Amino acid sequence: MFLGSFLIPFFPHFFRQIYMILLIIISAFSLTAGSGTHLTLNSMGIDFIIFHSDNLSFPFAIVFHIAAFLTVIYGIHNRDWRENVAITSYAGAAIAALHAGDLFTLFVWWEATALTSVFLIFGGKSLRAYKSAIRYIIIQVGSGMLLLSGGIILFHSNNEALFQNFSIQTTSGLLIFLAFGIKAAFPFLNGWLQDSYPEASEVGTVALSAFTTKLAIYALARSFAGTEILIIIGALMTFFPIFFAVIENDLRRVLTYSLNNQLGFMVVAVGIGSELAINGAVAHAFAHIIYKGLLFMSMGAVLYRVGTCKASELGGLFKHMPITAICSIIGAISISAFPLFSGFVAKSLIMSSLGYEGLTFIYFMLLFASAGVLHHSGIKIPFFAFFAHESGLKPNEAPINMIIAMLISALLCILIGIFPSIFYQILPYKIDYQPYDFSHVLSQLQLLTFAAFAFICLWFFKIYPPELNSTVLNSDWFYRRMIPGVIKPLILGIIDLNKKVVEIIFKYFINFEKFVSDLMFKNRIFDRETGYDTLILVQVFCVILFYLLIVQFI
Amino acid sequence: MNFLKKFGITNSIVLFICIILLLLEFTVDRHGETELEDLLFFPAFFGFVSCIIIFKVGVALRSVFMRDEDYYDK
Repeated sequence: MFLGSFLIPFFPHFFRQIYMILLIIISAFSLTAGSGTHLTLNSMGIDFIIFHSDNLSFPFAIVFHIAAFLTVIYGIHNRDWRENVAITSYAGAAIAALHAGDLFTLFVWWEATALTSVFLIFGGKSLRAYKSAIRYIIIQVGSGMLLLSGGIILFHSNNEALFQNFSIQTTSGLLIFLAFGIKAAFPFLNGWLQDSYPEASEVGTVALSAFTTKLAIYALARSFAGTEILIIIGALMTFFPIFFAVIENDLRRVLTYSLNNQLGFMVVAVGIGSELAINGAVAHAFAHIIYKGLLFMSMGAVLYRVGTCKASELGGLFKHMPITAICSIIGAISISAFPLFSGFVAKSLIMSSLGYEGLTFIYFMLLFASAGVLHHSGIKIPFFAFFAHESGLKPNEAPINMIIAMLISALLCILIGIFPSIFYQILPYKIDYQPYDFSHVLSQLQLLTFAAFAFICLWFFKIYPPELNSTVLNSDWFYRRMIPGVIKPLILGIIDLNKKVVEIIFKYFINFEKFVSDLMFKNRIFDRETGYDTLILVQVFCVILFYLLIVQFI
Repeated sequence: MNFLKKFGITNSIVLFICIILLLLEFTVDRHGETELEDLLFFPAFFGFVSCIIIFKVGVALRSVFMRDEDYYDK
């Protein structure tokens, strides 16, 4: 799929779309390969495991293919062949990375996902998008470098660098952990996510939302399952983005905070590491790719038709874009984990595993985060775009290809929610888990409905403040403002100091030169005749001194 | 009745569902993953209060984290 994508520019628009779908179908045949190592390559004395498949990579591979297919359908109207190449090669690289059996092969595909996806951010076709893409690629390639460093250290000590379980107590493990952490948008390493994804085109953001971060979750699940620090990191990830999402005005950026928050649930589950929790992480990643893609699709359709995704400028679009609105609501209900929708059957696994492990405090943090998800993704996204106040905008409904992609996604959200037992069959471990316990359903409904009622009260009594055009500071502030804010004056200071030192040296040099010239010409101490002899003597002394110094130290 | 009319149909439906969910609490032995969850109306209370806290903290954070739209472009 990755290699095939480079032929895309040679096809006219219509055949290009068919060719892209064909590439995905051909790639999907790899799903039938079964568990085991199927392709290795020996080069430079290293065994590169190119294609390895098992119970963990299988569900990710399925959902990556689904996401690639839906993205292509969603972007059929897009005539920019560069984005077509970027989407297909990006999806291909991500699928290939899932099947990497060693760290060097993973590194190649890890970097390939970065290099291909950056063109989707360039696809935003604005100066902001361009600058954001540059920051994005620096961070992503940096993550790859950490991964490579970890792999080299591991190879140096073990003579192999298999993509398996690592400990963060070792240097190589810590480097690999950081590499994965950057792509998984750990706290303070998450700035790139909110900075770059909303700058891409409407199609580009849908593709971006599916692969990079979920590839990192897969990598963490494979290499750091049961690493306890992940529980704390994940809990923080679920917690903090909620507040940023509440104050953010750009609805696509709200979704990136929400994405960050959802990744937190998966990271917590990986940190627990039990069979139930790993199933929860994988199920959540699977369901999340579809419902988050659906939400990004609906906001992308709004952006495509209206030209903005700012809550302050939207509202009342339900009358004009009813199908998009309904699909957005289904995505919002799914992400909020209402029973009978995909989010519920996936998140229940994680919450139950937390309960079984007795992690009460983390459990309540995630329960609080669940109410937050309802607030910013479940209500804020559809409400401010399609309801709230009348914006006066009268756009047409989204193009038919966008609607088809959204309807398929919405259907998948519902089917997964209604038939969890079929969904659970593709998870890594066989488990006997029943999410539809009446008590559990009632608790979840009470939690969500009352959270929604609180929002209604805040809105009805006009306590909820209006959305404002603004920039919300995030961890990218450190490298966009703070570091330049410190380094720029520092560099200017050094340049100033350098200038002053040079001036002083010149001043003393000129004074010295004047002094010597006075000696030579006014006082006639070093006149022409004696001057040469003295010079020769000085040179001889210098050579002797130099020789003595060398003898002394060598 | 006047209040419900003013409150709007959708909001009234949500309020009605909330009341039904509270009443259902008495028909089933509801149990959660932790003992605290088993308290009467706990999920409802937790959901409502969480949403208010998120809103309040969010509003408070506006003054800390909110800047002009062209903050990074200056």
